[in-house]
Amino acid sequence: MAKKFEHSYAFFLGCIAPNRYPGCEASAIRTSEKVGIELLPLKGASCCPAPGAFGSIDLNVWYAMAARNLCLAEEMNKDIALICNGCYKSIWEVNHKLKHNDELRDGVNEVLSEIDMEFKGSVDVWHLAELYYDEKICGVKKLADSVIRPLTGTKVAVHYGCHLMKPGKERHFGDTENPMWMEELVGALGAEPVQYRNKMQCCGAGGGVRGYDILHSLDITNEKMINLREAGADALTEVCPFCQLQFDRGQIEIQQNFGQVYNLPVLHFNELLGLAQGMTPQELALDLHAIDCKPFLEKII
Amino acid sequence: MAENQKPRIGVFLCHCGTNIAGSLSIDDVMEYAKSLPDVVVADQYQYMCSTPGQNKIIDAIKEHDLNGIVVAACSPRLHEPTFRTATAEGGLNKFRFEMANIRDQNSWVHMHDWEGSTEKAKDQVRIAVAKARLLEDLQPKSVPVEHAALVVGAGVGGMQAALDLANAGIKTYLVEKDPTIGGRMSQLDKTFPTLDCSQCILTPKMVDAGRHPNIILKTYTEVENVEGYIGNFEITLRKKARGTYDGAEMKAAGIEGSGCNGCGDCAEVCPVIKPNPFEMGMAPRKAIYIYHPQVMPLQYTIDFESCVKCGLCKEICGPEKNAINLDMADELEKVKVGCVILATGYDLIPIEDKTEWGYKRYENVITGLEFERLICASGPTGGHLIRPSDGVTPMKVGFVLCAGSRDNTGGVAKPYCSRFCCMYSLKHAHQVMEKIPGCQPYIFYMDIRSFGKMYEEFYYRIQNEGCKFIRGRVSSIREDPVTKNVSVLTEDTLLGRPVTVECDMVVLAAAIQPKPDAERIRQMFGISKSQDGWYLEAHPKLNPCGTTTAGIFLAGVCQGPKDIPDTVAQAEGAASAASIPIHQGEVQLEPYFAQCVEELCAGCGMCVPQCPYSALSLIEKDGRQVMTVTEAKCKGCGTCGGFCPGGAIRMQHFTSPQIVAQIDAFLLGGRGGEQ
Repeated sequence: MAKKFEHSYAFFLGCIAPNRYPGCEASAIRTSEKVGIELLPLKGASCCPAPGAFGSIDLNVWYAMAARNLCLAEEMNKDIALICNGCYKSIWEVNHKLKHNDELRDGVNEVLSEIDMEFKGSVDVWHLAELYYDEKICGVKKLADSVIRPLTGTKVAVHYGCHLMKPGKERHFGDTENPMWMEELVGALGAEPVQYRNKMQCCGAGGGVRGYDILHSLDITNEKMINLREAGADALTEVCPFCQLQFDRGQIEIQQNFGQVYNLPVLHFNELLGLAQGMTPQELALDLHAIDCKPFLEKII
Repeated sequence: MAENQKPRIGVFLCHCGTNIAGSLSIDDVMEYAKSLPDVVVADQYQYMCSTPGQNKIIDAIKEHDLNGIVVAACSPRLHEPTFRTATAEGGLNKFRFEMANIRDQNSWVHMHDWEGSTEKAKDQVRIAVAKARLLEDLQPKSVPVEHAALVVGAGVGGMQAALDLANAGIKTYLVEKDPTIGGRMSQLDKTFPTLDCSQCILTPKMVDAGRHPNIILKTYTEVENVEGYIGNFEITLRKKARGTYDGAEMKAAGIEGSGCNGCGDCAEVCPVIKPNPFEMGMAPRKAIYIYHPQVMPLQYTIDFESCVKCGLCKEICGPEKNAINLDMADELEKVKVGCVILATGYDLIPIEDKTEWGYKRYENVITGLEFERLICASGPTGGHLIRPSDGVTPMKVGFVLCAGSRDNTGGVAKPYCSRFCCMYSLKHAHQVMEKIPGCQPYIFYMDIRSFGKMYEEFYYRIQNEGCKFIRGRVSSIREDPVTKNVSVLTEDTLLGRPVTVECDMVVLAAAIQPKPDAERIRQMFGISKSQDGWYLEAHPKLNPCGTTTAGIFLAGVCQGPKDIPDTVAQAEGAASAASIPIHQGEVQLEPYFAQCVEELCAGCGMCVPQCPYSALSLIEKDGRQVMTVTEAKCKGCGTCGGFCPGGAIRMQHFTSPQIVAQIDAFLLGGRGGEQ
């Protein structure tokens, strides 16, 4: 059988995307196909596990569970692709750590041996957005070529998210203080990327802050919302469903707690790409967003 | 001492207080020393370096007719000269002395192993005695010293050193790679803590240096090559093509015209505009330029990389002055000097590499040196402090201290304290409050290091004037893309909580590092550097101006971060140290140089390229080739001696029999040397 796709990956879904924003999952699978990337289900995958929640209680559990997901991909002989910064932090970082620390790896393998698994270190982990930007896999030009409905006339702000970019020393994105590659991706879709104050600030949710102290967490989000409004963005795009949840549902919570109203549509980059590639709002389940995406959609459709 | 005389060795053990005696048994070692071959006396004293300790040596030489002395004590770097002098006072040749370092190399490192360190001390003494039995009389060589000096770098340190040397009657070449002297200090607006106008107190020195009959000023000139040794350095200078002549040069070269008088007509017509590095690139200059109005010498310079050779300058300069030559080429010149002082200064680190602070990315984040130019009356804004983004007067200014200094995070960060940033930032805070009524400075600091005379008082003054101090390392600086304001994110470690301060502009007190060409200069002069690339002094406490290469001295920040008073003080020290051999007229060289045993030399010449100091050559003698050593150039490193296939090279004071005896003494427990 002829190979249908140039590149194929084990697709790690995570928890928030399939449960809260199914459009993230749907768009990821369909947009990637358009640029020659196949996402295969990673069967039997568990929670990544969430870096803040698990990592801050017991690192050994965090290592072992993430390693189990890596073993599943190793069995498929595929690199992992994922669409969430939290998953990226867990799975990419555990992979990186186990590959560079024999002692840690032996310890983890001792645990995994109880379920007849062994971490070999034979696969890599990628964020789908990273693959889109990577010239060898897709690249900005190829992404732009896949667009049939350019998002011309819209101003889109970008949120990178902490776990994707930090710790900078262990990442491979170059400048982690003022990255611009997501802006390039947004530009490829025909939208105008806008800069705003404190772009690299946390969304407010990560590291267990949302679970521990919701008001503090919303305070951080609120500050970002003020800055986004000042920059005149029509929408915010991110590459992390947890950031998405915080910005999207957080706006409702901010309204309830602080009485401030923004109504800024928040779309995962894959959803934005899906729109540009011609998917309908229904296909992207945009009606499940807390903040109505219509004002943004009206600008492009 | 007769060659066939039987060795008679005296061994003296030093307690060094408890430094040595607290960690090993001096008595045991002394009894052991007495049992060693040819040792006729062994003694001990609490401080051998003291006068009674030295007298023990002097007396014992006479009493026991000794011809070899061993002192087991500290490091030869500290007290070898002391004990050599005592040996000589006792009537022996001073090279009949050998030291065993039972402190630094034994008691200090085996502090809690009494038995082990006692046994090791016995080994060390035995080894030293084995060598002492074979020591010979050596005569130091004297070489004449050229009555001239060279100073590299004409900032405040270089100028001070040159003036001191010149005033001491020494002909001094003052070499500066820039078109003018003055260095960093001439870029500063005011100096702390006195708030003198920097240029006002510097200009008289510049004028003095420019006019002094004993100073030969070489601006726009670089050191090209260095040969020779203390007393006889031969230095090649590259006089870079300046494009203009001064009057004296023209007269000497027989060219018609009065030369450049600094009128500036040429710059007016020059069509090429470039950023002026003196103004940190914030003001323009032409392709023919001077840095600032007070330059010394007042002579224009053509930047030939930018010059389009349109000839307008030459035209307006006219045949009377005839100062411009657009085809000028670099010239090489050789000078002979006895001593050299290096004063090459510093640069700021590329603080933009610490990307979280946004320098070069955010217009309103500047460095301390840029602030100096912006607040300076002769600077690009006439002394009106403005934000670079929109020219508006800032009302809230943040000063970030330790910007790259005292930072162990790697990359561009420097672990050391840059030493003057605290003080100049306090001065900057004062200046904004003085010049802009209502302007609020914030100082973000980790510690304030105001350690100098009247410095702490200056710190109180700035506190009282209303500057706000926030203690904690700044994590990041963020720009508001609309207003271009910059927010400083930090932790207030006194309040114990994160703080964000939105400022109109931020000034980074960037760490300093050696100049980019410091490494080239260092290698040419053959001196060492410390881990951070600063030139290494011979001893941090006892010889802070000298280097491990005789005749080369250091002044100013090239040796490590310093403020102006410290730089000037060290420059005076370096000038004083350099003038000693020059005034003595000759220097004694340690007689450690290699010797060629001509009967054994095959003239193969293989040693010649091995010598790192170019001290060896082949000569014709009795119809055959033999190697010869230029003794003054030889540092006694032994490379040639170890290499010589015929064993024809003899290293004085480190002869093969001496070294073999030491090895045997260690490995065979001393028995090897008894035959």
